[in-house]
Amino acid sequence: MSYAHITLPRLLLSLGLIAVAIALSRRSRLGLEGDLLWGAVRGAAQLIAIGYVLLLLFNHEHPAWVVLLLTVMLVVAGATAARRVEHGPPRNVLFPRAIAAIGAGTLVAVLPVFAAVVPLHPWYEARYLVPISGMMLSNAMNVVALVFERIFASARSEADQVEALLALGATPRQALERQVRATLRAALLPTINGLLTVGLVALPGMMTGQIVSGTPPEQAVRYQIVILYQLVAVAAVAGMIAVAFARRLLFTARAQLVLPPN
Amino acid sequence: MTWTLEARELVVVREGRRILDRASILVRAGEAVAIQGPSGSGKSTFARALATLLEPDAGAVLLGGRDASQIAPTEFRTRVAFLAQQPAMFEGSVVRNLKTGPELHGKSMSDTQASDLIRAVGLDEPILQREARILSGGERQRVALARALANAPEVLLLDEPTAALDPEAGERIVALLRELRARGLSVVMVTHEEAHARALDGTLYRCERGRLAIDS
Repeated sequence: MSYAHITLPRLLLSLGLIAVAIALSRRSRLGLEGDLLWGAVRGAAQLIAIGYVLLLLFNHEHPAWVVLLLTVMLVVAGATAARRVEHGPPRNVLFPRAIAAIGAGTLVAVLPVFAAVVPLHPWYEARYLVPISGMMLSNAMNVVALVFERIFASARSEADQVEALLALGATPRQALERQVRATLRAALLPTINGLLTVGLVALPGMMTGQIVSGTPPEQAVRYQIVILYQLVAVAAVAGMIAVAFARRLLFTARAQLVLPPN
Repeated sequence: MTWTLEARELVVVREGRRILDRASILVRAGEAVAIQGPSGSGKSTFARALATLLEPDAGAVLLGGRDASQIAPTEFRTRVAFLAQQPAMFEGSVVRNLKTGPELHGKSMSDTQASDLIRAVGLDEPILQREARILSGGERQRVALARALANAPEVLLLDEPTAALDPEAGERIVALLRELRARGLSVVMVTHEEAHARALDGTLYRCERGRLAIDS
């Protein structure tokens, strides 16, 4: 089956959409023109670059290259999740923990699926491994960023509650339970909303892409269902691990609350 | 003689400043101790370190002769109850607040026990069903006391329990503490108010520039 080719002039034409946003920003004096332009150029550059990387990878499929690419994606996701966490510990403290949470969440979601649902031949088959892992890493990154952002802020704003519980003999886990619950609910909500509205509001990118490029819709839908379930597992596991790290950073071994310096 | 609670030469340094400078104290079973000092003298830091909510840079806290670091924090803090200056109320009714401590340790508290506790701190039973977060300062202080007593502690450690109250309510709290002490509890109260420190009618320590000394 053929699909409508996007020629370079047509691609450039789509820049008009950014121009609309820039015009609106200027009119409302949002001061976002620079960010919008930079974002548009950077986003396009990154996608074009990954397009060539994938092309190269597909043509010279080698496990080392696939693993290298996945590692780079993981590091970028970790750095992004650990960046600018208000009221949290410094970036260098959060970064390795973000990597661990994102990595573990992604592994839990990806390994069983590639082992049993979408078998890969060979195991490093980049055509499946890279895009699906990328989606998982991205979801894990968002969840971990949300968890870090929220848990340190709420531990600070509700420090008196947490300490009152500790003073009654609560363990750190018990003392922080309320904040953890609120944090995880908030962090998992986007993923759960995605489950509830998929097909009604949004036709997910991967499915759309597959259909556009000729995959029978019924197969594309099956892929998408698997991916949705994977996204849920990723969010839950990465969120839980991030919470566990945050808890260890917030309390001493003697169950004392230590807030990161402002 | 057995000492219930002891602080041995506690040192706390923050940003290069010695907030506690080898502060020591001995509290016997059933004894009342007031620690009086001006604000900024380190007495609140001392109370928090004595409650093990803050790790001292040097020195030790002992309970019944055992180093606090050898006692599980959950056990230590059940035996030594700490009340902050303005105790945080948990979400829900007063009775929910009272049941928190026992539930943390897998125990339950009957409504009769809750009624007994609330009367023991001088409040009437109807308050049990009220939302804890909308209570007045004096009521909160008493509910926090009852909440701490629900764990059946051996020592009550209070940081400025009267500071946020009007003079009359403050005096009533001190009278209540005297009553609790008469029932066998050790009471340690940190305060900047001379009159309340004296009214506790126990051993009086002075806190100045991070050091503690018995007032003779």
